[in-house]
Amino acid sequence: MAQQKQTLLERRYSMLGLMLIAPTVLVFCAVIVYPLISAIYLSLFQIYTPTLAGNWVGLDNYTELLATGEFWTSLRTNLIWTVGTLTLQIVFGVGMALVLHQNIWFRSLARSLILFPYFISTVVAVLVWKWLFNDLYGILNHLMMGAGLIDFPIDYLGTMPNALISVILVGAWKYFPFVVIAVLARLQSIPEQLYEAARIDGAGPIARFFDVTLPQLREVLVVIVMLRAIWDFKEFDLIFLLTGGGPVTSTQTLPLLVYKEAFALNQMGMASAYAVIMMLLMLVFMILYIRRTKSEGS
Amino acid sequence: MKLRAIAFNLFAWGIVLMVAFPLFWMLVTSVKPQSELFRRPPTMLPEAWTFEHYARLLFDTNFLRYFWNSVILSTATTFVVVIIATLGAYSLVRYRYRGRETLAFLVLFTYLLPSVVLILPLYLMLVKLGLSNTITSLVIAYTTFALPYALWLLRSFMAGIPEDLESAALVDGASRMGAFRDIILPQLLPGIISTALFTFILSWNEYLYALVLVNSDSARPLTTGVMNMLISSFNIEWSLLMAASVMMSVPLIIVFAFLQSYLTRGFGAGGVKG
Amino acid sequence: MNRSQMTTSISRRGALKGFAATTALAGLPLRAFAQEATIRWWSPQGAPAQVDAYKIQIANFEAANPGVKVVFETTSDEGYAPQLAAAFSSGEVPDIVTHLPSFAVQSYYAAGLVAPFNDVIEMIGPDDFYEGANDVFKAADGNYVGTGIGNSAANMLWLRTDLMEAAGVGKAPETWDELRAACQAMQKDGIYGAPLPYGANSMTTLIFAGVIHQAGGQVFDTDLNVALDSQETRDALEFYGSMRELCPPGATNYSWGEAITAFVSGATATGIYTGRVLGNVAEQNPSIADHVTCVKYPTKSADIPAWTFNDFPSVFIPAQSQNIDIAKKFAASLFNPDGYIQQLHAAPGHVLPVLKSINENPAYQANEIIQKYPAEVDLMSSAAAGGYNLGYESSEHPSNDKAGEVVGSGLIAEMVQRVILNGENVDQVIGETAKGIEAIMKG
Repeated sequence: MAQQKQTLLERRYSMLGLMLIAPTVLVFCAVIVYPLISAIYLSLFQIYTPTLAGNWVGLDNYTELLATGEFWTSLRTNLIWTVGTLTLQIVFGVGMALVLHQNIWFRSLARSLILFPYFISTVVAVLVWKWLFNDLYGILNHLMMGAGLIDFPIDYLGTMPNALISVILVGAWKYFPFVVIAVLARLQSIPEQLYEAARIDGAGPIARFFDVTLPQLREVLVVIVMLRAIWDFKEFDLIFLLTGGGPVTSTQTLPLLVYKEAFALNQMGMASAYAVIMMLLMLVFMILYIRRTKSEGS
Repeated sequence: MKLRAIAFNLFAWGIVLMVAFPLFWMLVTSVKPQSELFRRPPTMLPEAWTFEHYARLLFDTNFLRYFWNSVILSTATTFVVVIIATLGAYSLVRYRYRGRETLAFLVLFTYLLPSVVLILPLYLMLVKLGLSNTITSLVIAYTTFALPYALWLLRSFMAGIPEDLESAALVDGASRMGAFRDIILPQLLPGIISTALFTFILSWNEYLYALVLVNSDSARPLTTGVMNMLISSFNIEWSLLMAASVMMSVPLIIVFAFLQSYLTRGFGAGGVKG
Repeated sequence: MNRSQMTTSISRRGALKGFAATTALAGLPLRAFAQEATIRWWSPQGAPAQVDAYKIQIANFEAANPGVKVVFETTSDEGYAPQLAAAFSSGEVPDIVTHLPSFAVQSYYAAGLVAPFNDVIEMIGPDDFYEGANDVFKAADGNYVGTGIGNSAANMLWLRTDLMEAAGVGKAPETWDELRAACQAMQKDGIYGAPLPYGANSMTTLIFAGVIHQAGGQVFDTDLNVALDSQETRDALEFYGSMRELCPPGATNYSWGEAITAFVSGATATGIYTGRVLGNVAEQNPSIADHVTCVKYPTKSADIPAWTFNDFPSVFIPAQSQNIDIAKKFAASLFNPDGYIQQLHAAPGHVLPVLKSINENPAYQANEIIQKYPAEVDLMSSAAAGGYNLGYESSEHPSNDKAGEVVGSGLIAEMVQRVILNGENVDQVIGETAKGIEAIMKG
């Protein structure tokens, strides 16, 4: 009897739970599942973008894109960009969080200033950087020439490997504050006793970082790395506006290729095929990553 | 020891200033007169200060209209996202039903498709609903990319609230939703504020959706409004652009300065769980 | 269709003009009065000064047509493709679009998205256009897809007379060798010779297509077969490569904005741009205002005619518009002298009139900049009127409705970068580029 009553209550609870999650599921179905299915559907056609009229080509788009070199070079660029900028974001973000966790002068002002790159629109950020990078009136070249670091203005965005390095650096500058926020928050919740204990054991600052701080940060870092990896892999605005994929196609990542197919070449079907492949790639990486971190964690 | 502290402070502030240098340069450029803009070498501080670029933006262009649109858009998106996400996160953390874990995973999955491809189908759908060219259409679109993250964030935060508090209230005879309101919500407040801030920032700065989904000045937000107005492939109005950038960033910086502690507290209090 | 045939067809049209005009006038106002309508007008040219001029034109039209409301909406210049794609595919189209390059309109027309524009040209008066001004808007089926709202001479060679004098350059260069020698002579004291674009962007594609023509070559032949693999293309690449050391280091990422600024600020001794240079000099660097002039961009040798790049900023009307008749009337009204002149004055020398009567109109001439540089403005007007672009390489060429995609693919800019910046094998690169363009032409 009591048993039955409890299950009844539980069932009522789970009904309530389903009701609470319903809006979320609804939003996902309407605005994500539907476009997702249409993307897969479109990828099976050859389509003129402005009319969305097209003819059925089956899997031809896929066989064609896997056969072209452009896909593979863009994928390579995409991986270099993602790994490069993500590494810098994490390293610099964790470092900065440690610094800002200390009691420095005007700490909240310093925190606001550090987080500022993350607040400004990508479009604004890119334009400001283009203005800083400018070969003739750019302050960066003049400061470096003034300091005697270089004799001639550097061409930041037009030659390789400068262009890829610049893009990676600007990406790191723009997004490392996200890591700072997350890590800083976690740092504040590490119990002071852990450090005390380590100190008693005679651990120096570096040992304390590796023995106490890093293990405590592990969970938050796992999540950050995954989120940022997905976002960086998909990044479009920043690269598109900074270099447009150039020089030649040296900084052309997959999202830029998708844009080019969809709106410059008016091949929506092909663009969708690229997008679906991108999604599958990320999915595989994500599953592997989650498996790996889960098994390591337990 | 004291010397070391000073050295550390100088080092820290050196980095901070380097990171913030583009902000400084933005400010400086925005108050330089046009004739000083292309000086070589550039002047570090303006020789002549001018606020004409700000005046021109405020009084001769649609800037204020766009600004107002952005405020409405970001606020509305934030409300919608936070409400849906709070309920959803509560359900995901506290209730047991089939597919719960899968759902949490699917939330992330929605991030995987590049927005370039989502745009046209989404636009066609909004047109069918009769919502094209409205702020509402952007609120819906922004919900698509802000909701997964908000849900993720709030879920991890919710998990950090001890369950026994809620059980105690339930034992005392509170209804489930009553316990949610009285016990969970106050505890969750920092998390909600921080989620709201992230959502606000995302919607304030979004560009690509705004470009495609809205094309009337009555609904256009700041990002696309300012870019369309000041950048054509034939010309870039640098001074106006920098003035606009300053005015676009300042509200966020002010909001952040007040809510900064929530932003960092909310994220970590529960420990982010994967 | 060549130019002489074109003229006869226009004058034949002219004979019908009286009839067409009366029917247009008899038919349109009635409908305009009969219905309340909102006309949406899109343009990527939304600089504040220009928008002010548009507002006056709109006010005039609304006053003359009660019940009609015109809403101006700026589109993005770089991003108009997705915006229009969204509009066309959903059917929620603007009623009139201006300032898109002619080849974009041709591409949309070929897909059935644009309404024929013939009667609007009749309303404006075909005889008033510069000779051949509408050739570029002629579609394969003989209809006009739109008309020019202005002309632009986008690859004028801008010169600094003071620097020429100081460097002992006696006359404006007419051939590539002279140009190179002049740039070499003037490149000193931190001033570079020229701001040619070497970036992965459409400016590089569009300008270099011109350089191929300045070598006597072409990208497509008159049957629109790809004709890129030629000695002329190789000459063009060689010349363009030899100019690299005379350009600022950042030229590898230059587009229009950087190119104009380099010349206006005095960082380069020559420039390549439209007449917008004149307005920007007055605003940003008045100290050189008395020393700037322009000529047509030099060619490989004196016997090759100049090739002026004109992107033919257009007016067209989407076929799905609900108010085609009113939109047409509005399109025609954009060319009424008072409003049109105001629009041209918003960027003097940059957008040049397409109508002869406007160019002769004292109100148009009464502008500080146009008065200060009469020779330059005249030269640009005539050069632009006889100008071409990749969608319309010569008067012998039929219009190429795939030109927009060819530009969008960036293949030509890529070719320039691969050969000049990366030093790759010329024959191989040209061959691959030609193949890529052929694939686009096949669709």
